[in-house]
Amino acid sequence: MSAHTYATLVDLAAGALLLSAVLVVWRRDLQATARLLAVQGAALGAIPILSGIRRGDVQLAVVGVAVVALRAVVFPKLIAVRLRGELAHEREGAPLVNTTASLLVTATLVIVAYALSRPLVRLDASPAARAAPVGYALVLIGVFLLVTRRKALSQVVAFLVLDNGIDAVAFLATLGVPVVVELGASLDVLLAVVILGVLAGRMHAKFGGTDLDELRELRE
Amino acid sequence: MSVSALIAVPVGAPLVAAAVALVSRRRSLSGWSGIAASLAVLAAGIAIAARVGSGHVVADAHLLRADAAAAVMVIVIGVVGALATFAGVGYLDAELADGATTPAAARQYEVLVQVFLAAMSLAVLADNLGVVWVAVEATTVATAFLVGHRRTRQSLEATWKYVVICSLGITLAFFGVVILYFASIHAGASPTSALDLDVLASRASHLDPATARLAVGLMLVGFGTKAGLVPFHTWLADAHSQAPAPVSALMSGVLLSVAFSVVLRVRALADSALGPGFARDWLLVTGLATLLVAVSLLVAQRDLKRLLAYSSLEQMGLIAVAAAAGTRLAIAGLLLVVTAHGVVKAVLFISAGELQHVHGSSSIADLTGIAARSPLLGAAIGAGLLGLVGLPPFALFGGELAIARGMADAHLAPALGVALVLLVVGYASIVNHGAAMLLGPARAGSPAIAVTRPVAVPVVLGVAVLVVLGVVGGPYPHLLETAATVLGAR
Amino acid sequence: MTGVAHGDVARPVGPAPPADGDSPATGAPDGRAERAPGAVAIAGVTTTALGAAGAATGVVAVVRGIGPIHVGSLGPLAGVTLAAGATGGAFMVVVGLVAAAAGVYGIGYGRHGRSSPLQLAAVPAFVATMLLVPLAGSVSTFLATWELMAVASLVAILADHDRPAVRDAARWYAVMTHLGFAAVLVGLVVLAASGRADGLVALTSRAASASSASRDAVFVLTFVGFGAKAGLVPLHVWLPRAHPEAPSPVSALMSAAMVAMGVYGIVRIDIEVLGPGPRWWAIVLVATGAASALYGVLQSSVSTDLKRLLAYSTTENMGLVTLALGAAMLLAGYGERSLATIALTAALLHVVAHAAFKSLAFMAAGSVLFATGLRDLDLLGGLARRMPATTGAFSVAALGAAGLPLGAGFVSEWLLVQSLIHSRPSSGTLLALVMPVAVGVVALTTGLGVAAMTKAFGIGFLARPRSTAAFDARESPAAMLAPMAVVAAACTVLAVAPGVLAPGLRRVLLDTGSSFGAPPHLGLLLRLPGIAGSISPGLIAVAVAVAAAALALVAAVARAGRSRRPADRRAALWAGGGGPLTARMQYTATSFAEPLQRVFDDVLRPDVDVEVSHVEESRYLVDRVRYRSRIVDVVEARCYRPVLGAVATWASWVRRAHNGSVNRYLAFGALAVIVVIAVAR
Repeated sequence: MSAHTYATLVDLAAGALLLSAVLVVWRRDLQATARLLAVQGAALGAIPILSGIRRGDVQLAVVGVAVVALRAVVFPKLIAVRLRGELAHEREGAPLVNTTASLLVTATLVIVAYALSRPLVRLDASPAARAAPVGYALVLIGVFLLVTRRKALSQVVAFLVLDNGIDAVAFLATLGVPVVVELGASLDVLLAVVILGVLAGRMHAKFGGTDLDELRELRE
Repeated sequence: MSVSALIAVPVGAPLVAAAVALVSRRRSLSGWSGIAASLAVLAAGIAIAARVGSGHVVADAHLLRADAAAAVMVIVIGVVGALATFAGVGYLDAELADGATTPAAARQYEVLVQVFLAAMSLAVLADNLGVVWVAVEATTVATAFLVGHRRTRQSLEATWKYVVICSLGITLAFFGVVILYFASIHAGASPTSALDLDVLASRASHLDPATARLAVGLMLVGFGTKAGLVPFHTWLADAHSQAPAPVSALMSGVLLSVAFSVVLRVRALADSALGPGFARDWLLVTGLATLLVAVSLLVAQRDLKRLLAYSSLEQMGLIAVAAAAGTRLAIAGLLLVVTAHGVVKAVLFISAGELQHVHGSSSIADLTGIAARSPLLGAAIGAGLLGLVGLPPFALFGGELAIARGMADAHLAPALGVALVLLVVGYASIVNHGAAMLLGPARAGSPAIAVTRPVAVPVVLGVAVLVVLGVVGGPYPHLLETAATVLGAR
Repeated sequence: MTGVAHGDVARPVGPAPPADGDSPATGAPDGRAERAPGAVAIAGVTTTALGAAGAATGVVAVVRGIGPIHVGSLGPLAGVTLAAGATGGAFMVVVGLVAAAAGVYGIGYGRHGRSSPLQLAAVPAFVATMLLVPLAGSVSTFLATWELMAVASLVAILADHDRPAVRDAARWYAVMTHLGFAAVLVGLVVLAASGRADGLVALTSRAASASSASRDAVFVLTFVGFGAKAGLVPLHVWLPRAHPEAPSPVSALMSAAMVAMGVYGIVRIDIEVLGPGPRWWAIVLVATGAASALYGVLQSSVSTDLKRLLAYSTTENMGLVTLALGAAMLLAGYGERSLATIALTAALLHVVAHAAFKSLAFMAAGSVLFATGLRDLDLLGGLARRMPATTGAFSVAALGAAGLPLGAGFVSEWLLVQSLIHSRPSSGTLLALVMPVAVGVVALTTGLGVAAMTKAFGIGFLARPRSTAAFDARESPAAMLAPMAVVAAACTVLAVAPGVLAPGLRRVLLDTGSSFGAPPHLGLLLRLPGIAGSISPGLIAVAVAVAAAALALVAAVARAGRSRRPADRRAALWAGGGGPLTARMQYTATSFAEPLQRVFDDVLRPDVDVEVSHVEESRYLVDRVRYRSRIVDVVEARCYRPVLGAVATWASWVRRAHNGSVNRYLAFGALAVIVVIAVAR
């Protein structure tokens, strides 16, 4: 693979990441966002695969495949299973911030991300590192989504966007953190998503819905 | 015992006990193996302390390393773990007798508590910052269903808030770890060992300042989430008040401190990489803000367990302010406060759990005339509250005194003054509510309190430990001073 | 009513007054069994033994000094250092002697009590920790012993915690004492940091070289903290609540000994260790002392609760001591060494005298409480006949508190006034302004003090009993009377022969600093160095005794020389159509103090209410008139309530911000992210 091809493909993957994140902000329907998560996971996993092919590092490519498996298949499936089950009628209701405003905020966050990641890009001029701002943008978008979504599973999606962003930075800037750490982190995130899914189910049983505005009994 | 086996005990013993709890059918076996595991952690901590007391680091090839600071934290985990698991046996027995829980849920409780202890030990003993992060996140995962053990609406709400808010914070910490990894590689470390704590320590001055600032900021905020520092403090009162009492003791007493010990390591790193001002200012502002919020929410508090949770928040604020000072006395005092606070919170939460079990509520208005109904519990809670607000001869006083002296040495006396004024307000609130609960005649019709052995033993032992730590000098304070030097005290 | 002989009274009618105070005699039935007298005796004996040992140690410290003893194996991260000089030794002697008296007293007082073992152990523990404070030789040890004293006293106060007034008093006491401790803590650690040492002796030499800003800060903070412990305005509000509600032996210890610890702190840290400072330090001391003296005596003169009256009198006396210390500092700053010494001697002597007469007064008040269950002066009276020993003891104490000749407090007040009067206005304008004001304050205080003590003694002990409980009073047991007699003797010795304290005083003055010169000569004749002033209390006492003996002789001769009297005849008294005298026709404490209350209306702001209820049928006929007068502590109402209100308001804002919404909580977190981003660039 030539350097030019590699750079183009990595940029494509980064672009897909960003686009899917923006679409998650725009589309509030949970089924759609679960599918967008799958796209995002695939784009994320593509990056270490491409890097592995470029450098001839088999371990890196395997890690990439594992990432695709986890984030493009397993996570969306966990959410879809929940949606098909007891939470079939859940849609994101009236959001805290309306769509137009959300998209404007997202645009601002992307600009902030580019400003924030300047020191990193300055240090490492490789094509993959130049795409690192996308990871930063995903992190900020994920935080924004987490704050403004009112359904339990939407917050799970937001959390996954956030996590994808961090992994994107890891793979773009540094070829991924050490395997042990990557393994442990993925396991932790998997368990967290499972737990959140179980809690969402229990919430539906106890509260009659996963509307987070219902969770106001514990207060001063 | 070889060194590698010794360091592996704090992580391995609870995992073994978890396995035993998973497969065993007999509750007494799983209960006792849990207590034995905590005692093994304590013994290993003391043995490690004996070896690292002079300052050198004991390392193991497989991801674990122990220095004086790690030894202190392992000892704290062991002591509080022993008290909490002992009380936990009685708690589960009472719940099963009342029909409030099923044997399967009880087994889940025991397994998760042991996994929780193992994760905390891993967090203090790991030699790779990434593995430390994994362990800290693992504690969130392990405690999620512990907080929600009681399957009520309110515990479900508390669990959701706990998992989501802590996950946001801890994920931000991971972002910081990733950026730090990047900076470390660019300072010349090899990719496989760029996150090792000793490699980071040696390369710290070569890290790019701008990148390091972002990384350190994110890590201070992220790991500070699990320590309950503002503005990620909002999960604390809900989670600690809804969890079963022994779990609250562990979370309030140890988990907050373990998370803060990671913050201390980050602080040491930041001081080398960015100079002492960055972390100091950050911790000072966060610490005072945490103190302010905690004290404000203590004033008109109506629930006993939330009162104890906010008091933990108050201690964390004080600890953060002490870490900002960074002198040897301040950090040694901080570690003494950590130890003493763990023990005193265990005593108080276990007593609170007993009261909640007897009255069916933990509201302060319902709990009156405790000293009149049960002298033992009244004396224990009285001693605990006096120890909690920092009165001698209990150990928190010695720690707070050392912190005050350390802060004056670091020219932070005005901040000390502000912190002390806030602490006096907190003191007034705690004394007020404590007097309302303990003193006075028993109201007609209030139930009799029969204190069982699983509650009496840890409570009395805890108060005794608190007094001994507060009066006797000797090896433990010496270990604390060594740990302070290891953590980069000036 | 026929057949009433002169001098006899009828038992007053009316309902029995409500059980008031911490009377152990009113044994309301509850679940707790009566404490075995053995435990009470052990506690009392231990207290006395500790007191005696402490006094002996104090004497050793005054004579030879107790060198720094460092125990590294105690006290985590700080170690324990014990050391005592003459100043510490003197205060230890005072505390020890008061404790010895209170210990024996407590054996008799606690006989019918219902205290738990913890509460019984609290009193010896309190004494032990109080004795340790002057023994502390380093900043860490001082702070530790100070707080231990606070804990022990708190547990001791809570002996009767079933009563809401006791719980309320304990809460106020706990918070204010901790506030004072916080101030002392910051002050002392700043001192230790600027001197780079922990030992008090080492800091004495190094403190002078610290920056003036830190010295000023240390002075202000430590004065606030120690002043709160000594009960100076405006941090005195715990005193009138805590001292009355505690059991009487504990009240005696707190009022006589513990407030002396506050004075010890001021003397040791602010005068000895910090050394000479700018003039405004002395002005602060004088001003606070003057305010406390006036406010305290005013409140005590209008108080109708006997123990509350004594508590406010403690504020007044500590105010006088602080005024004397401030005057000493000011005079030393102007180079008037001999006058400064006189003022300092006055302060120290007054501490000792106050310890004697205040402990005696509280023991007597406790004896009254033990016998009648009452603290309200309006309901007492006629105790002179029924409790002669107690009355005699209280009269000695009241004489001492009033500062009249032959009273224990006379010599120290005379010395103070002498030092203030003889200051030369040419030395400086500030001196010329402050000294006359100070003289006026002392004079006014003494005058009002006489009024207060006259009220307490006259209304409380003389005339006729105003309630059934006072009518039925019997003298207290010997265990309570013996220590009262001993302390009364001590008061008398202090009044007529203060020279016994001279050697100790000389050593203390030497320790206190080089700006103080030779002490006044305290022999049979009190001669003051450098000024023309002398008095001899001993000779005055002898003269009074001779005069009284002469009068008695004349009266006896006159009676013997009279012709034989006719037999007694019993007949109804002619009382001008008004009927026989009843107890209701006497001054009560409220009426005695009413003129003062009117004069000082602006300061005291009493809450006076007159309620007239009419007969149903006609508004011209009055059924009943009810008069209610309540005097609350003005400082508490004006200064403390707004602060507490502001804290509560702030707390409610913070509570409203935490409304339970996950999204809001996450938004707080997002705020942190924004801050990190902003800071990182």
